[in-house]
Amino acid sequence: MAEPSQNMREQLAALLPRLRRFGRTLARHREDADDLVQIALERALTRAEQWQPGTRLDSWMFRIMQNAWIDETRARERRGQTFVAEEEGENVGVSTTDAQIDAIAVRKAVAQLNDDQRAVVGLVLVEGLPYKEAADVLGVPIGTLTSRLARARETLQTLLESPHGARA
Amino acid sequence: MNWTDESLMAFVDGELDAPQRADLERALAGDAVLQTRVAALRVQRQRVAAAFAAVLDEPMPDRLADLLANAASAPSATVTNLAEARSARAQRGAMPGWAQWGGMAASVVLGVLLGVQFAGRGGDASLAVREGRVVAGGPIERALSTQLASASASPVAVQLSFVDRAGTYCRTFSTAAVAGLACRRDGEWAVQTLAAAEATKGGAMRQASSPLPRAVLDAVDQRIAGDALDAERERQARDQGWRR
Repeated sequence: MAEPSQNMREQLAALLPRLRRFGRTLARHREDADDLVQIALERALTRAEQWQPGTRLDSWMFRIMQNAWIDETRARERRGQTFVAEEEGENVGVSTTDAQIDAIAVRKAVAQLNDDQRAVVGLVLVEGLPYKEAADVLGVPIGTLTSRLARARETLQTLLESPHGARA
Repeated sequence: MNWTDESLMAFVDGELDAPQRADLERALAGDAVLQTRVAALRVQRQRVAAAFAAVLDEPMPDRLADLLANAASAPSATVTNLAEARSARAQRGAMPGWAQWGGMAASVVLGVLLGVQFAGRGGDASLAVREGRVVAGGPIERALSTQLASASASPVAVQLSFVDRAGTYCRTFSTAAVAGLACRRDGEWAVQTLAAAEATKGGAMRQASSPLPRAVLDAVDQRIAGDALDAERERQARDQGWRR
């Protein structure tokens, strides 16, 4: 195994904040998201030679994270564990700043999407990847990506427009 | 021509080719309904991006930074699955109370505690250490137990009330000196997170709309199950003594 170059470590370090952000769209809670980033970094460092210079390192890392997340989801299903259910609740107008409240409401709505939809939302709406790049990360045809994205957006809109806030 | 949701979405995401984009821009010029649909998609994209933007500014956990720090060091504690990571975290969590407070230096915590006592004005301590836990006392305890988020300015403001992932009630509070998150445990308000209050104008009176420090919001984010309670559910919870 080739030792990952210092250059690659530096590039990964620069990407870290975005990897954590993408992790937060996949996993719903910060500790799970950071665990996912850690797993992905460890995998990336042991397979550094598989990355093709000239291709996007962020996309490569997102793909590793997405795969690790799928592995984790399946492992939990095998173990019979379920994810922490989002409890039904109602949104409030009180407190903090409007922007902070809106951010919480939006994150709650995103958390109610299914795994596939959260991944496209994370890649396209949050990380700003072009459709083609996002489709490559997920290993799906671009038509699949756009229909997933359209469905995710529609669901999000319904959740966010509901007078009771994000509700399943 | 009929524009599908997918083409409008592609337009907003900058994915239409030049001729399609020109067509759509022409159509938009005279079509208020189309403009509304496009605007809704734009707003949604911005809201979603904004909702996760704060993650970029969060302090980097050492365990992640350390992985990349040293070219010579192989990862020592390899995480193979999240369950393992979680149990490792749980072990780390079995540390003295101070250490769990987000790495705050003990001196800072001490200063904050003193600040709370002075800000409390009631002569009784606002926070107490009981069996290794920090619990709310005095005016903070009273506010958490009785005050609704809609209350007008008071020395202790209460903002968000919600049910955490363990199924108990939690509430955020702030005084002139500190802000924090407390959750109901064994009939007391156990303080989960405490941070210096954001500086605001207006002296010692706190409004429910006072901005909360990020550390407190993060703690809410990590614990909240579902959404915050609305005014009605908050009142019911209070009237039932915050028992579930």
